[in-house]
Amino acid sequence: MRLTTLLTKLFCLNVSAFLILGGGSLLRASDANFFVMDGRQTTIFTEGPVARSQTDLFFVTCWVTLVIFILVGAVLAYATVKFKARNAADEHAEPPPQSHGNPLVEIGLIAGSVLALVIIAIPTLKAIWFTYDVPGVETRAQFEEMLQKGEAYEVNATGYQWWWRFEYPGELATVPESGGKAPLATANELIIPAGRPVRFNLRTTDVIHSFWIPKLAGKVDMIPNRANFLWLKADHPGYYWGQCAEYCGDSHAVMRFRIVALGPKDFNDWLDSQLQPARNVPVKTAATGGAKAQFASLRAFRQNESGFSSRFDVAPLEAWKEKQFPEKNEDPELIAKGKALFTAKTCVGCHTVRGHGAQGVTAPELTHVGARTTIAAGLLENNHEQLQRWIHNPGAAKPGNKMAKGYLDNKITLTDADEAALVAYIESLK
Amino acid sequence: MDATAKSDFLPQEEHAPAKTFVLWRPIAPTGLMGWLTTVDHKKIGFLYGLFALFFFIVGGFEALLIRTQLMVPNNTVLTAQQFNTMFTMHGTTMIFLAVMPLGAAFFNFIMPLQIGARDVAFPRLNAFSLWTFCAGAIILNIGWFLPVDRFGAPDASWVGYAPLTSKTFNPAHATDFWIMGLQLLGVASIAAALNFIVTIINMRAPGMTMMRLPVFVWMTLVTSFLIILSFPAITIALVELMMDRNFGTNFFEVSGGGMPILWQHLFWVFGHPEVYILILPAMGIVSEILPCFSRKPLYGYPIVVFSGACIGFLGFAVWSHHMFTTGMGAVATAAFSLATMCIAVPTGVKIFNWIGTLWGGHLQMRTPMMFALGFIWMFMIGGFSGVMHSAAPADAQQQDSYFVVAHFHYVLIGGSIFALLAGIHYWFPLIFGRMVSEFWGKLSFWVIFVGFNVTFFPMHFLGLNGMPRRNFTYDPNMGWNTANFVSTIGAYILGLGILIYFIVMVYTYLKGERVGPDVWDGRTLEWSIPNPPPEYNFRVIPTVHARDAWWYEKHHQEEIAQEKAEHAKAEDTHGGIHMPFSSIYPFVASCGILIAAIGVSALDADWVHPGIHWKLGVTLTGGVIMFAGIYLWALEGAEGYHLHPPGDDHTPDATAKKH
Repeated sequence: MRLTTLLTKLFCLNVSAFLILGGGSLLRASDANFFVMDGRQTTIFTEGPVARSQTDLFFVTCWVTLVIFILVGAVLAYATVKFKARNAADEHAEPPPQSHGNPLVEIGLIAGSVLALVIIAIPTLKAIWFTYDVPGVETRAQFEEMLQKGEAYEVNATGYQWWWRFEYPGELATVPESGGKAPLATANELIIPAGRPVRFNLRTTDVIHSFWIPKLAGKVDMIPNRANFLWLKADHPGYYWGQCAEYCGDSHAVMRFRIVALGPKDFNDWLDSQLQPARNVPVKTAATGGAKAQFASLRAFRQNESGFSSRFDVAPLEAWKEKQFPEKNEDPELIAKGKALFTAKTCVGCHTVRGHGAQGVTAPELTHVGARTTIAAGLLENNHEQLQRWIHNPGAAKPGNKMAKGYLDNKITLTDADEAALVAYIESLK
Repeated sequence: MDATAKSDFLPQEEHAPAKTFVLWRPIAPTGLMGWLTTVDHKKIGFLYGLFALFFFIVGGFEALLIRTQLMVPNNTVLTAQQFNTMFTMHGTTMIFLAVMPLGAAFFNFIMPLQIGARDVAFPRLNAFSLWTFCAGAIILNIGWFLPVDRFGAPDASWVGYAPLTSKTFNPAHATDFWIMGLQLLGVASIAAALNFIVTIINMRAPGMTMMRLPVFVWMTLVTSFLIILSFPAITIALVELMMDRNFGTNFFEVSGGGMPILWQHLFWVFGHPEVYILILPAMGIVSEILPCFSRKPLYGYPIVVFSGACIGFLGFAVWSHHMFTTGMGAVATAAFSLATMCIAVPTGVKIFNWIGTLWGGHLQMRTPMMFALGFIWMFMIGGFSGVMHSAAPADAQQQDSYFVVAHFHYVLIGGSIFALLAGIHYWFPLIFGRMVSEFWGKLSFWVIFVGFNVTFFPMHFLGLNGMPRRNFTYDPNMGWNTANFVSTIGAYILGLGILIYFIVMVYTYLKGERVGPDVWDGRTLEWSIPNPPPEYNFRVIPTVHARDAWWYEKHHQEEIAQEKAEHAKAEDTHGGIHMPFSSIYPFVASCGILIAAIGVSALDADWVHPGIHWKLGVTLTGGVIMFAGIYLWALEGAEGYHLHPPGDDHTPDATAKKH
């Protein structure tokens, strides 16, 4: 175990023990001990070299300042207690010697502070250059070479109000509608190869967003007219939480995304399936006709109601893997109806479903949306209920979003049956 | 004085003419007209304070709504839009309408008294600043009372990052209110700052040399310079934004080739000095309170003053540390990272000297002292988390997370607000002639202190645990629930503390114990006058003999008499003209600058041999020479000699006598 990691854990445990013993019984009443800081978006328990170097540096600053704080605080506390006037007589005693200062003390303290800062400055400079770009890459040509050798990977990430588009410039998918090829694109769920440095080209189409996956790397902003980038590496396969970190308008808080890092085989399997056009569910294969999916009518959702089941929370990576396979009780007729509605209700104007004639570009790409664990930019779990909640009233879940506006502008209304059909169709897009 | 006295001033007791130029000269001493037309720096200061405290309550109420919404995950107290409006207005209100004008209130009320002046240099300009400030405050807040669809209150956050503020993304007039409101507040601030600078430079009492100025006056001066140098940057940015929104220009319009990043640079070139505009007055107040209640002078006065100025200078060299995540490139990031670390040195020096002031004193633990000590502790924590941010890669995780929210609230509440509350307590007896009860004062301190820490300390953990700021909602599975809940409880406690504080203040104003002048056994000139201060402040303009002028006056009558006698004697004996000694150090410092400039401009940045880097070496050598020159210049002092011009044996002229 690295020394810093050990110190990290010691620090967290000590602080928590200290504060809990210090009268924090209230804290134990709730779900988690927040001093441990091992949440979904922790910056302390990291899982990649970039985030680790940032955390290591944080702990350097933390230790240095903590030591100074204890030293200075001790002197301050001592002075406060020692020189306190004890009573009224003391207060009105002869004034103490009117000393004005001592240059040697001042110079000593200044030198000490500078020294402490140097201790912080050196690892800071190292970390700045380490986190700036993929190690060993100084020119685009070098990076291309690494890409060729499969030692690195490249993804274009683009921010929209309030979702993310991920494009894989190295993977060309056929577009049946035009017969040509285009880089593979997905939305809101980022799949990356584990163990390989991934370099993101960060762009935005509207306002400033900030791309942040705390466990893997600190944030870098997506700024209009500016070609920013960021690199990171996931140590091992895993499921990560990310979120926009720059205020970007009404629904900034719900502009989230998920990151799935996969081992080499899983990643290639995923690529293969993604490169396919959208899946078709032929009506006649379900000849028995018995598999009618049952939908409960939509219940009322509270404003901001959480969109996740607890099962999903326990093992998100497994949940993701399950999602890669078609549902067992698909209803082909319903799906066919949903597919027709997808065009009839002008969904195709904004969304792309490659192979199904939908080529809109202003909204998330949906060719394989059924294989994602979440919808609405990491806001809701991808299941019947939440899908229907979303389609029923997108503006309620994500205030100010364009889909809600599209409903109004195009006077789109959906019956319960319509919604059920659309949900079935979307879920079939594996 | 002499030159103007005969023409402009009326004979004693005569009133103003009923009508002068179009409108009449108001003569009401009190009442609404009296307050609206006053040019008395004390009344203007009082009004600044009153308005600032009103907006402090408004901003606090917005904060409580924010905390209530975040108390539990997926809460529904506010809608997304309302929440965004709240945090935008909370930030804008607290910075521009609460802390800044509260600082201005003290500048106005206390500074002229401390330098022994009867008013500020431009009394009418002072009134103009106050009322323009009010105009800005009204424009900023007017949206609350107008329909949300076309108007509404600003909701693009207090930094207003382009292009979120463009017509495309924010079509309502809310953003126009924000632009115009800040613009007016800038006008008010710049006018006031110029006024304070001229006052401090020109209106000091005889003998009040610059190095005898109370530290609060020094900090007023530094803050005023920061204001006149930094506000132009945001003025430009706001004008550009206004033109983008109203006249179709393309400064920030992406579709027209505009550069949104430009906004951030302009904003933070203003925004970082602004941070020091908020904290330096607080440091000044604390530097007054600690010596007074320790009954000994401020430790290391010159170095405290120099540190304040140094913070002011460095404040202009670090703005991009607010932009570490904007992809500036490794070199720029490193430069701003190191520059930011440098600020820790003068800041640390201040803290050391405050502790040095306490050391060996007789500490009287009165309420202002409690707030001042609370300030040191809280400001240390805020300062240390600031050092953590200066390490740019670590900041990439902390930027825009609750860690930053914790940091700047420690600096702004634990720092600025604590000191300003201390200042209110400290000068209350002077301003109103009544004194706050110690029990209630200390009770409010402890409630505020506890509430503040319970609110903001958990936010450090929230931020490190990945919670971004400006979020109206969060999911329950993120590990943020407890900290948010605790924080909200803390906010209510803090609110209660502030409530107690203000109730006590109002009660004291109405019914508090009356006290005589100089209730704290003060050290500076404002305590030498009766309370409440008469409108002319000083019956006779005092003559200053030392730093901590009033204390010296009280305790060193003998020395003063002796000094006067010696002075007279010296004048009699030498009778010459005082001349400064020559000095080599200005030349040395300039040589250093020359060498550094050659290093920067003429040499190549190569490692000739390992260990020999001409550019770096020459530049650094020049820099060292420059600093050495300036430092020694300061140390050698401004001594001089007396010159006896030939043929002028025994008639010392008036100028020589005066020095």
